[in-house]
Amino acid sequence: MKNSLPPSQPKLFSHLYIEKKVLNHPQTQKIMEKFEHSHIIMIDHYKEVFNRPNQSFAAQSSAKKLILAHKEGKFLHEGSQYSDGFGHQQFFYASSVMGCLYDCDYCYLQGLYPSANTVLFVNLEDAFEQLRPYLGNDTLVATSYDTDTMAIESLTGQTDRWLKFAALHPNLYLEIRTKSANLKALKNALPNERAILAWTLSPQAIIDRYEHATPSLEKRLNAIREAIALGWKVRLCIDPVIYTDQFEILYPELIETIFGAIDPDSIEQLTLGSFRLSQSHLRSLKKLRRSDVAFYPYAVSDEMATYPERIEAHILETLLAKATQFIPKTRIRTWQRQS
Amino acid sequence: MIYLITALDAEARPLIEHYRLKRDLSLPYSLYKNDDIVLLVSGMGKTNALMGLSTLLGWRIPKPADILMNIGICGAPSEYEITEALLIHQIIDHEKRYYPDILYPHSMRETSLLCVDEPQSHNCEFPVDMESSAIFQAASRFFKLHQIAFVKIVSDHFTPQSVTKEGAIELIRSHLTLIDDLLSALQTIQSAPSLFSDEERERIDIFKAHFTKSQGDGLEDALSFFRLKNPMAPLVFQSDIPNSKRERSMLLEELITTLTA
Repeated sequence: MKNSLPPSQPKLFSHLYIEKKVLNHPQTQKIMEKFEHSHIIMIDHYKEVFNRPNQSFAAQSSAKKLILAHKEGKFLHEGSQYSDGFGHQQFFYASSVMGCLYDCDYCYLQGLYPSANTVLFVNLEDAFEQLRPYLGNDTLVATSYDTDTMAIESLTGQTDRWLKFAALHPNLYLEIRTKSANLKALKNALPNERAILAWTLSPQAIIDRYEHATPSLEKRLNAIREAIALGWKVRLCIDPVIYTDQFEILYPELIETIFGAIDPDSIEQLTLGSFRLSQSHLRSLKKLRRSDVAFYPYAVSDEMATYPERIEAHILETLLAKATQFIPKTRIRTWQRQS
Repeated sequence: MIYLITALDAEARPLIEHYRLKRDLSLPYSLYKNDDIVLLVSGMGKTNALMGLSTLLGWRIPKPADILMNIGICGAPSEYEITEALLIHQIIDHEKRYYPDILYPHSMRETSLLCVDEPQSHNCEFPVDMESSAIFQAASRFFKLHQIAFVKIVSDHFTPQSVTKEGAIELIRSHLTLIDDLLSALQTIQSAPSLFSDEERERIDIFKAHFTKSQGDGLEDALSFFRLKNPMAPLVFQSDIPNSKRERSMLLEELITTLTA
């Protein structure tokens, strides 16, 4: 057979799968304009593509496709035991996107979904309607929970829409968690006292090894500085911490780097948490055979896989000892397993 | 191994010549092979395709890196040029839809394809063939969806009576370079690669046989952790396995600790 050079990487979202019922939705039309060279494939329901048996998550990760769909049923789900509701009376996460542009080896999405493709539910207005009955009480919504919405903000504009909605509802608090450095995507949004931009930070060596396709630490720190200067409330999350043989060097150095670049008084909180995953998601992660993170001998208790207690305690002690050199303990939140 | 499937002898002829395939009499089908490629001529229609491909894949079960391509001619609406090669991204068969994953760049025109029950003499919305949905159904049991590709070359604008055997041969022959390129592209896309060589796998299985299922699973995880963390490092096993159950457990514990350190 003729030997040809290996082809270069395919374009991101080279294929748009579009549910017939959302073809005329304004957001669909905008995305089609933006991706005018992509192949358009009309479908009846996103599950025809997203839920196909025998997809390869690993192979799809470097050639993600975009599926535009109409969300039927609940947009909002109650927060899980693996995450922090920050003391709000009600804590929901919004599921307006399935799948993430980033490709982190430790991410539970790999165990959650059968596909590495991204599903964008364009009817976000229905999420707002579903939330209205709860807005008489203090409510936190994590808008970037099963994805990184900021990573595709310039495509979707969903974070901007959430911020505009929150501006009208004084009991609504937003947490927008991200690894993105693309703050320009929020250039039209006004900072809101009740909206927190929460950046996940890792040592550059961990980013290189496990957080594929994500911005570098330096770019994230630059974006954080810019956000603070613009008046955004910011939370920093060293979570999940990946325990490696270089842990004692990498993570204390990370904390020094962070607070060498950012005034500790300018952030709301620092969150620390070691890697944890439900046992079922971990099983799925193992099947992909992509990363050593999946195969560490975790301790499993109540269906949750965590580092053994001794290591988990060591991680927290090490990070707390370093972090408290810069920021009072009262502004540090730690994830700890519920006993 | 590359699996090729065509409906007609005429579609297969240029491929047999190009890849220097030899007739193989192992199955009651027109079957051709060389060391890298196996080609089956199924006959026309979904039933023939389903039976033929199922027989082939049951006879030689694909390995994880294998790929399959269906190559054939098709009728198409007039906006598709005769001789144009099409790569199929959606197969429509009545209410059913099938989607091969196209994860590689290519230079072909992509389209949906209607899989119909008989040759079409009236205009349809998309190009049509008579085997693709059946091939997809059989192939997707054995292959990941990005390892299956459908290449159709437009032979007519819904005038099936105009298609000749010589014409079909020439249509396929004129696209052999393109088929070569596409096969190369498909082969570059790997799903989860095997972490261990065949020889390592054999040694692991022999070693694991000394332990319980649960202990074996723990060892497998530790070996995977070690290999992913140290891709170039060799696996080292102790050859003397103690007779005592307690000592075996201690040996395993030590090994897992070393591998995951």
